[in-house]
Amino acid sequence: MNDELPGDHPELTSGIRQVLYTQEQIRGRVAELGQAISRDYAGRNPLMIGVLKGVVFFMADLLRELTIPAEVDFIAVSSYSREAREHGMVRLMKDLDTPINDRHILFIEDVIDTGLTLNYLLQNLRARRPASLEVCVLFDKSSSRLLSIPIKYKGFDLPPYFVVGYGLDFREKYRNLPFVGLLSPDVFQNTKKANQG
Amino acid sequence: MKPTNQPHFVHPIEGEFAKILDFYNIRWVYEPRTFALEWDEHGNVTLAFTPDFYLPDQDLYIELTTLRPSLATQKNYKQRRMAELYPDVNLILLKRKDLRNLMLKFGLDQQAQQIIGTAAQKGSQNER
Repeated sequence: MNDELPGDHPELTSGIRQVLYTQEQIRGRVAELGQAISRDYAGRNPLMIGVLKGVVFFMADLLRELTIPAEVDFIAVSSYSREAREHGMVRLMKDLDTPINDRHILFIEDVIDTGLTLNYLLQNLRARRPASLEVCVLFDKSSSRLLSIPIKYKGFDLPPYFVVGYGLDFREKYRNLPFVGLLSPDVFQNTKKANQG
Repeated sequence: MKPTNQPHFVHPIEGEFAKILDFYNIRWVYEPRTFALEWDEHGNVTLAFTPDFYLPDQDLYIELTTLRPSLATQKNYKQRRMAELYPDVNLILLKRKDLRNLMLKFGLDQQAQQIIGTAAQKGSQNER
């Protein structure tokens, strides 16, 4: 853990109380994951699928670490918002552009916590009969897990706190931080006050 | 599976949790089983535990608690007894902080605040 916050962009880092994983640490681990995937999927032309939006940072960096041909596609699902709840159930907001039957699929996630969304998506993808389906996640918050999800490739463990950066957001903010940090409780408090106002 | 008739939830947070499970198409059953934990010399059950939810597809029991850690001693004891007596039963205890983070994650700020509210801090008669 690195306690020092980068001081160059205070507007961007406001609300972050501690750096958990630095840009360099993330870069190094993503490179290791890329090497492992390149080794395991050589000659299989994997299709890398990510769920929008948080995964785009990890996906872009991971793809550039691969030394084998690979394809990429994205999927999007409704989040548990008031509007989505009125529709009753989670649903696909954007489907894949690529058929996946008989393809080797590597599902890429920025973070897994409860496993609820990922469980839904894996069920959906399995029904399309891919040749194989594995999961690669950069950040694993296993302390929040409700559903057991087999993970083939994992980057880092996360503590049971609210963390942001490198794709992880709080109310759509902080995604573009190059590092991952702990969110200050003040941010929660301010959000509560704003919502009450 | 969304039950045709919603059960009467003892605590409002259980209803919110059930809605989340429904949203993600997770089958659940409310309080389907009671586990005996202690008996008297006549074999009568003196302590039992009824987890709030059972997820049949995951073979998983989930217990929710909004009690402050200092007031959750009995529940922690029951969880330990469960592990001793029923080691093959998968049980997750979602504690107050876990539930608050879960509610915040799903944008349920009001529910998150209720968990930290006075009633939850002092313990509720609804807590089992």
